[in-house]
Amino acid sequence: MSGLGRYWILLLKGTEVTLVLTALSLVVSLVLGTLIAVLQGRASRPVRAVIRAYIELVRGLPAILQLMLLFFGLTQFGIFLSPMVASAIWLCFYGTAYASVIVRTGINGVPKGQLEASMALGLRRYQTLRRVVLPQALMALIPPLTNFSVLQLKNTTLIYFIGGTDILYQAQLGASATDRPGPIYLMAAVIYIVLNGSIGRIGAYLERVTTRALR
Amino acid sequence: MSNDVVVEVQGITKRFGDVPIFNDVSLRVHKGEVVAIIGPSGAGKSSLIRCINQLITFESGSINVLGHVLHGTDEKKPALSHQEMQEIRAKVGMVFQNFNLFPHLTVMDNITLAPTRTLRHSKESARVRAQDLLTSVGLASKAECYPHRLSGGEQQRVAICRALAMEPEVMLFDEPTSALDPELVGEVLDAIQVLARAGMTMILVTHEMSFAAEVADTVIVMADGGIAEDGDARRVLTSPSSERVRAFLRRELRHSSLTTSLSDEDESPQRATPKGQEDESTESREGMPRP
Repeated sequence: MSGLGRYWILLLKGTEVTLVLTALSLVVSLVLGTLIAVLQGRASRPVRAVIRAYIELVRGLPAILQLMLLFFGLTQFGIFLSPMVASAIWLCFYGTAYASVIVRTGINGVPKGQLEASMALGLRRYQTLRRVVLPQALMALIPPLTNFSVLQLKNTTLIYFIGGTDILYQAQLGASATDRPGPIYLMAAVIYIVLNGSIGRIGAYLERVTTRALR
Repeated sequence: MSNDVVVEVQGITKRFGDVPIFNDVSLRVHKGEVVAIIGPSGAGKSSLIRCINQLITFESGSINVLGHVLHGTDEKKPALSHQEMQEIRAKVGMVFQNFNLFPHLTVMDNITLAPTRTLRHSKESARVRAQDLLTSVGLASKAECYPHRLSGGEQQRVAICRALAMEPEVMLFDEPTSALDPELVGEVLDAIQVLARAGMTMILVTHEMSFAAEVADTVIVMADGGIAEDGDARRVLTSPSSERVRAFLRRELRHSSLTTSLSDEDESPQRATPKGQEDESTESREGMPRP
């Protein structure tokens, strides 16, 4: 093992944190985002207003400021979150808003004739959503959702600022202990490329499988 | 409403915003009757049959469908509960101009989705029934295909099977052949004709005049915001009483093989000039080779 070997171990520890946070936030974002997208189409006016305000908030504030408000701001009220918990909550909060916007466009993109056909067959609204609308919407959304996943993985680097121990944090730690920081950052870059490359591959595979049915 | 009346429309009015579509339309469909609705584009033919299963609402009047009464409403949603609407829709089959098959499901799943979900049929019995239906329209081998692999004519036949799988008491056809290539129209019309012969009650919006003459018991001509003429199919199509209907049929029959006393009859001398131009363009189209 060369002199850089022990840094790989450090970075892989960070990779684990990055992956767990990314995976968790993607699952939560997709589930809650879909729920919110559906609600937005049919909920009462006040509920829709709340949803809109939430999305505006997430979209309008710099990501890093949101994270700081959550981690440092809450201490004002006596709430002290650990860096990992604050990171997880923020990534889910942030990702859900973006996922809901994406899923909403997908739902709106399902042709009206599909709804008419479901209605004419006597399917209930939930059945129409579950069996007809959402499958088609999500299939069509694989490319934007792949893109979203890649962005979300990169967003995990922001937790570095509140002391989250992700890849970037470990790289920084390693770099400060040596007089040659360049190679360590390059190693971190390689890990990000491999991870995001894999997400891209998975997305492309899913797209191939689903469009085989649709086109 | 007497026992054998399946659908009774009474004085309904339909607007889209401020645009009136039709006014005071009434019709009655008896069990086993085949009603064809014809008329120029924009006359509200499709809107009328969509009112029957409440894909759209209407503003006033009422419709009795299989004993359920729908009233006009200014709300954008049906006046009945979701529950009751689903009951009605389950018994009213509909076939659309653009097929509207579910692209993410196989032919088999398209057909069995509603019966297994709404009628609670077992998966096996729904599949057996679906296979029978597919066989009856000559598509037995296509059960596991996705819709995009099929021609338009095949897709429409699957759509007919999908509607029939719910064992409807009345079928609505909304221009079922208008989106098809000419050479595919026949196979779909054949399937509809078989159904008509089997005694299915149906309301059919169509531009296929000769087909209407062949299968329909009753023809309704919609024009100018209402029913311009209705009655026995042969009579309406061959010797309509209103001049509006005569003019419409003359135009339509230029493109149809249906030969009636109308088609070659008196080239009416009182044709207005703009109309003359219109006719000229249709004549030149007639010169094109027809499939």
